[in-house]
Amino acid sequence: MLESSPRTVSVARRTDAEGETVWQHELADGLIDAGIEVAAWVPDKRLAPIGTRLAERGIPLRTLTREEECFGYAAGYRAAGGMPLVMVQCSGLGNSLNAIGSLVIPYGLGFPVVVSMRGTLGERNPSQMPLGRTTVAMLDALGVQSFSLSDPGAVPAIVKGAIGVAEGARVLAPILLEAELELP
Amino acid sequence: MNPTDIVRTILRAAPDALVVSSLGTATSALRAASDDGPHLYMGGSMGTALAAAIGVAEKQPARAVIAILGDGEAVMGAGSFWSMAGIAPPNLLAIVLVDGHYTITGDQPLGVPDVFADVAAALGLETATAYTDDEITTLVQTLHRPAVLEVRYEERAWPGSSPFVDPPVVRWRFEQAAVGAST
Repeated sequence: MLESSPRTVSVARRTDAEGETVWQHELADGLIDAGIEVAAWVPDKRLAPIGTRLAERGIPLRTLTREEECFGYAAGYRAAGGMPLVMVQCSGLGNSLNAIGSLVIPYGLGFPVVVSMRGTLGERNPSQMPLGRTTVAMLDALGVQSFSLSDPGAVPAIVKGAIGVAEGARVLAPILLEAELELP
Repeated sequence: MNPTDIVRTILRAAPDALVVSSLGTATSALRAASDDGPHLYMGGSMGTALAAAIGVAEKQPARAVIAILGDGEAVMGAGSFWSMAGIAPPNLLAIVLVDGHYTITGDQPLGVPDVFADVAAALGLETATAYTDDEITTLVQTLHRPAVLEVRYEERAWPGSSPFVDPPVVRWRFEQAAVGAST
């Protein structure tokens, strides 16, 4: 049986009138307030409400063909003077390692990345487990510090801090959306 | 025509463009033809040069943007032609240098159909093929963006400049060229 989303995403902790999760809107709003101008992503169910909110507020949402393409696009956007956002599943980080390692890092192109974690608590798809298990280690091996987000109440602080790191310290700033955000 | 001649002609036809080059021959030729001008030279990240150029084009919509891509690069990053068609930046020209080989790794044959203009046409992008300096000049100046220009050549002379660039220097100079001119 094919599944396009983790079965754990069945009960949102908090929802608004439209059924969208509040923390995902807060995350999008925080990213916009901190200055992101465009978002490049490969679709994911947990990221979708963030993308919808970004688009509603006028941020162009670019759906690209592969995750490494998102990093290439964002690298160009950043090098041209802007502040992009990349949104991918953690499995897509595996596709992106060369773009991160031979473009984003050596050229000093810092921007935030929102990573939807699969292959962790509650995952029911065996194929998702290896990349979920190794996401932090892959980033560590490249010298990229990641920022785990598992408490909806921490969204504003982590978003603000991650953008600060990307903009000021000019390094990649991945925010890992942990499964606990949506566990009932 | 060799790669350096081709890129020199491109730069003469579009002297104010922001240029992104893929690793290997394209970066070496762009460095040689521009006397190491402030362009976004890729030293690695094969397959992402066109994506980067789309990002540049989106951030700097008032500037002409050109991606100069090797044919191996263009195949590896083929999905970006789809993205280019989807986003349709009105200021972006992608130029594929087609010689049918992976040059920097030892001249191995491309091994797949080099039908970049056909693919671009199927995607609804403006496209053409150039074989001479005059054709390059005319097409760079007249193709309606977003567009894909194939340049086919047989003089496979290595341009000479090192394709191993200093990334922070490249980024800083390019950022100055992109932002400085737009503000």
